Amino acid sequence: MTMIRRFWLEAAAVLIVAGSLFRSFTVEADVVQGDVQRIMYVHVPSAWLAFLAFVVTMIGSVAWLRTRNRRWDRLAASSAEIGVVFTGLAILAGMIWARPVWGQFWTWEPRLVTTALLFFVYLGYLALRRAVVDPVQRAQRAAIMGIVAAVQIPIVYYSVNWWRSLHQASSRNSIDTPLRITLLLGVLAFTFVYAVLLRRRLELAHLEEELEARRFEASPDVAGAGITAPSLAKANKHD
Amino acid sequence: MTFWRQVYEIARKDLLVESRTAEVALMTAPFGAAALIMIPLAIGTDAPLLTDLGPGLYWIVVLLFGILVILRKSAVDGGPQRDLVRLLGIDPAARFTGATIATSLLVLLFEVALGPVLVALYNPDLRGWPWLFLILPLVAIGMGLLGTIASGVTTSLGTRTSLTPLLVVPLALPLLLGATQAFEGLQLGGSIVPWLVLLFAVDLALAVSGILASGPLEEAVT
Repeated sequence: MTMIRRFWLEAAAVLIVAGSLFRSFTVEADVVQGDVQRIMYVHVPSAWLAFLAFVVTMIGSVAWLRTRNRRWDRLAASSAEIGVVFTGLAILAGMIWARPVWGQFWTWEPRLVTTALLFFVYLGYLALRRAVVDPVQRAQRAAIMGIVAAVQIPIVYYSVNWWRSLHQASSRNSIDTPLRITLLLGVLAFTFVYAVLLRRRLELAHLEEELEARRFEASPDVAGAGITAPSLAKANKHD
Repeated sequence: MTFWRQVYEIARKDLLVESRTAEVALMTAPFGAAALIMIPLAIGTDAPLLTDLGPGLYWIVVLLFGILVILRKSAVDGGPQRDLVRLLGIDPAARFTGATIATSLLVLLFEVALGPVLVALYNPDLRGWPWLFLILPLVAIGMGLLGTIASGVTTSLGTRTSLTPLLVVPLALPLLLGATQAFEGLQLGGSIVPWLVLLFAVDLALAVSGILASGPLEEAVT
C-alpha cells in the first residue's frame, strides 16, 4: 500500500507517456509536412511545460515572500530548473523541425528569439541562486527575480501575435481532431512528467538543505570557541 | 520627512556622487560612442546600409553599454551606507524609487549623448523625431527599473559584475523591441502607439514589482 502511495504518480506518468508515444507514432502524418510534423508532439508540450514551470516559480516566489516558508523557495527553484531543461528541449525540438520545414535551424523569428531569451532569463535566476551562500538571503533575492522574470512569459506567448512572423500563431481550432487529441495527450503526458520530476527534485532539495545545514554545523569554529556559527537549521524551522 | 522628500534626497545623493566622478559622462558615453564608430568597420561602411542599421545598432549600444551605467560606482552602496540609510528610517520604496530615478536620468543622459553620434555617423532617417521625447525616457525608465532591481538582488555578491548583465539583458528584450519597432514605425509612417503601450506596460509592471519587492530587497542585503 505504501509503495502504491509513493509511486502512483510515477506509474501514471509512465502509462500516459507510453500512450502518448504510441499515439504520436501511429497517428496519421500531417498532409503537408509529413512525418516531420510528429516533432510537434514533443515541441509543443515542452513549451507548455516551460511556461507552466516558470509560472509555478513565480507562484513559489510570491508565496515565499508572503510566508517565508522554505518549501515555497524549494518549489520555485526546483520548478525553474525543470523549466530551463524543457525550454532547452522546446528550442532544440523546434530547431530540428525547422531545418526541413523552413530550410534552416534558426531564423530571427520573434517566438524563437524570445524563447531563447526566456531560457537565459532563468539561467540568470539559477546563477543568482548559486551566487548567494546564505539560504535565507538566497531565497529572498531569488524570489524577487522569480517575480520580475515572469514579465517575460506573456511576451514570449504573445510574440507571434504581436509580430507577424514565420512561426505558427495559436492554432487550437484549425488542427484536425486526431492530431489535436495526440497533441493534448502529449501535453498531459509532459505535465505528469513535470509533476514526477518536481516531486523528486523537491525531495532532493530538502535533502540538500539538510546536508548543507549539517556540514555547516559540523565545521570547526572560525573564530574560536567564543563565537559559534549560526544554526542553519533555524532557517528551516518552518518545514 | 515625506515619501517624496526621501525619494528626492536619495536620487540627489546618487546624482551628486555621479557628478563628482562623472563616470557616465566621461567614461561610459565615450565608450558607447567608440563602439558606434567601430561597428561599421566590422559590418561594412556602405552608407545606405548604415542608414538602415544605424537606429538598431544605437539601441543595442544603449542596452549593452547601459549596463555600465547600472553598474556604476554611484549605484553601489557599501554596508555602512546601507546601514546609515536604514537608521535614518528611509522607506525602502522611497529608496528604490530614488535610485531608479537617478539611474534612469543617467541612462537618458547616455542616450542623449549618443544621439548626435548616431546622426553624424549613420545619417538615419529622422522622420517623426519629436516622438523620441517619449521613446527615450520610456526606455531609460525601463533600464533604470531593471537596473535597480538587478543591482539590488546582486548587491555585495562577488559575481555582481558578471551576474547583473545576465539578469538585465534578457529582461530588457521588450524595451529593445519596443524602441526599435517604434523607430521603424516612424520611418515607415505607421502607427507606433502599440509599441509605446508595450514600453509603458513593461515600465509599469517593473515599477509595481520593484516597489512591492523593495522591502524584501532591503532585508535580502541586511
